Amino acid sequence: MNRALLSRLVDLVVVLFGVSIIVFLMIRLIPGDAVAIMLGANTEITPERMAELKSRVGLDRPMVEQYLLWAGAALRGDFGTSLWTGRPVSTEIMTHLWPTLELTFLSLLVGAVLAVPVGCLMAQTRGGAADVAMRVGAIAGLTIPSFWLGIVLILLLSSLAPSFASLGYVPFSEDPVGNLQRMLLPSLALALPILANLSRLVRSAMLDALGQDYIRTARAKGLAERQVVYKHALRNALIPFLTSVGIMTGYLLGGAIVVEQVFAIPGLGRLILGAIAERNYPVIQATILVVTAGFVIVNFLVDLLYILVDPRVRA
Amino acid sequence: MFRSALRGAMGAGFMAAAMASASAQVLEIGADLGPTGLDPHLITAFPSFMVVNGNIYEGLTSIDKDLKVVPGLAESWTVSPDGKTYTFKLRSSVKFHDGSALEAEDIVSTIKRVQSKDIASPLASRLSAIESANAVDPQTVELKLKEPSAPLLASLATIAVVPSSVETNKDALQKQPVGTGPFKFQEWQPNGFILLAKNEAYWQQGLPKLSGLKFNIVPESATRQVGLTNGQYALLPHIDAATALQLKGKPGIRLGETLDLAYALIGMNVSKPPFDNPKVREAVNYAVNRQEIVDAALFGAGVPGGPLSPALKSWALDVKEYPCYTPDPAKAQALLKESGVALPITVTMNVLPRQDIKDVAQVVQEQLNKVGFKVELKNQEQGQFIQDWRNSNFDMFASLNAGNADPDEYFYRTFRTGGSTNVFKYSDQEIDQLLDSARTQQDQAARKAAYDKVQRKLACSGPAVHVSYGTLFSAMRDKLQGYEVMPNRSLMSLGKAAY
Repeated sequence: MNRALLSRLVDLVVVLFGVSIIVFLMIRLIPGDAVAIMLGANTEITPERMAELKSRVGLDRPMVEQYLLWAGAALRGDFGTSLWTGRPVSTEIMTHLWPTLELTFLSLLVGAVLAVPVGCLMAQTRGGAADVAMRVGAIAGLTIPSFWLGIVLILLLSSLAPSFASLGYVPFSEDPVGNLQRMLLPSLALALPILANLSRLVRSAMLDALGQDYIRTARAKGLAERQVVYKHALRNALIPFLTSVGIMTGYLLGGAIVVEQVFAIPGLGRLILGAIAERNYPVIQATILVVTAGFVIVNFLVDLLYILVDPRVRA
Repeated sequence: MFRSALRGAMGAGFMAAAMASASAQVLEIGADLGPTGLDPHLITAFPSFMVVNGNIYEGLTSIDKDLKVVPGLAESWTVSPDGKTYTFKLRSSVKFHDGSALEAEDIVSTIKRVQSKDIASPLASRLSAIESANAVDPQTVELKLKEPSAPLLASLATIAVVPSSVETNKDALQKQPVGTGPFKFQEWQPNGFILLAKNEAYWQQGLPKLSGLKFNIVPESATRQVGLTNGQYALLPHIDAATALQLKGKPGIRLGETLDLAYALIGMNVSKPPFDNPKVREAVNYAVNRQEIVDAALFGAGVPGGPLSPALKSWALDVKEYPCYTPDPAKAQALLKESGVALPITVTMNVLPRQDIKDVAQVVQEQLNKVGFKVELKNQEQGQFIQDWRNSNFDMFASLNAGNADPDEYFYRTFRTGGSTNVFKYSDQEIDQLLDSARTQQDQAARKAAYDKVQRKLACSGPAVHVSYGTLFSAMRDKLQGYEVMPNRSLMSLGKAAY
């Protein structure tokens, strides 16, 4: 157990180091540097003013030196300041982190919690009209892009309930009702593809499990069908399900970028997009590191969950 | 059960909405982009200007909706006969948002701050004519110029006056602006919103009527439209023609419009073939059908324009004065033949990533290809476009340029030999002389005559094909009173608006 934890930690460090180098290089290799964009196209700029600004934000140093300076500070927990606003990058990330976490959590909750009963139902009614309908629905859910779904949901709601505030973001701590109200549509838009994906997965895992010998034994000893499905079959079907939930979290972070854009939610996705357009190097670097770390940690947590669900892993 | 829970949530939503409208009239604005910084001397982007200029900060002078210079923080001024000394009398009851009174010393340090190398303000060149500024008494400022400067008063309107305490501070104003305007900074949630509160001590009695401005940053156009339709937002400033057409006639929504000072243009690199040849540039002008571009790319919402926006009523010449503004493909072909350049002329056009400019570029491409060009469009990402633009790394480009209230500000830096945004590498002795003399000319009629000549020469064989000036729309709820769309995209009229 401890060894597993340790090897995961090593993985995390290696991944973060690799990602930091790739990100650092990539954003500097794309043409158009921060200073040129910062000065814009409509103001009078002399080369010397450009040089002054470059040295002010530290872009005049060799790239290796820039990386070492940045990495050294980052190790000490200092991610630097935003090139544009002068705010600490850590503050920028913290303020943008909560909306994304909340959105991810809510859509995962809706998607995963509904996926289990829906998947079981599909497996139980296999071949029937209900199964076919749900499978068609699931395919639709998988293929509809969430930004389109988001816009349709906004339009739909604004004609059904014009004064339902659905845009923007208010922190839960300030106004819980307003917060959940605004989170409703984006969570649904993000949750639908997850629900579709996971319920299909639960369905096929359940079908597998239901065909096993021990299920026949369970039925033979006279257990109720509900007990057979939820107590015996489901537990075995949950392992691939958990792996998928872990991967979904990564999908959610990607989907959140698009959905945040549509619903005007100030989350990490918006922060990254804006930072890339502005070539705000410190913000891009730190944000991508945070997202990467989050992804690795979630997968680690999923591994821990295996142990809880599957006694064989415990040994 | 789910349905009743939903209904409960909606009921709460109705209540929240009702409470919000009863307690205060903070104007909810839907903006596409957020500010990238708030220091009025460092910002360069429209979204930052929109929030800061005229709302939080004011200048010594101000520009009204007809683009004329009117008094701002200075209630009056005098100019010495030689045009080299300006004396400004400040208003007496002006206070900064931090409570301190506006004094002549603040004006002096504002000018020093913009000119300082350490601050590296992109506005510095607008004050390059000023040799020294000094406070005669707390209410009087005297500016000494190196040489007379005709555009100075218009330029001063764009220089936000800040307290003398921040003269050398590079960071404070980015986060916590302190101005004299009708609204003061309250909260900024990056990518979320920026909230300004009413300045209770504003120097204009009874203003502002609104209790605040909230700029909601909503990148998706469809989302902004829904927000305006259902009343969550009261104003969408500066929307494009396509959006305006969709919102037109919807219940509770009104459109405001004016002619834009910004313009679409096609730039040509005159430092290399084929555009080093004036005949080729003239041919481009004859080949381009501006009315067709306005109809096809701007949904008819705009007008063909020359080197100066028709919004600059006292300066711009009528486009009828330019022979090349009557499209004539045959003449274009003849000019290309005369130029001796081998046909077809293969060129690349870099395109600014904005939908309206992409549309303009496509129409221009088709028009040019008809007369013997082979234009390839290169859609670029913003950062890449600016980089190539700055380094004159292009054959042609299609772009949108912001305009200015005084012709000098645009002409001098763009077409003067060695001008800082003369990315075309254009150099013409006659133009240089005219621009130099107009810059220091005190006599309005003589200045106008010089700029008339400049416009005539630039219109048909200059390095830029001035294409069109779009109609600038804002969409708002019917209830919003007193807001006027300004050609320079300033939102300063919100200081007088009511909702």
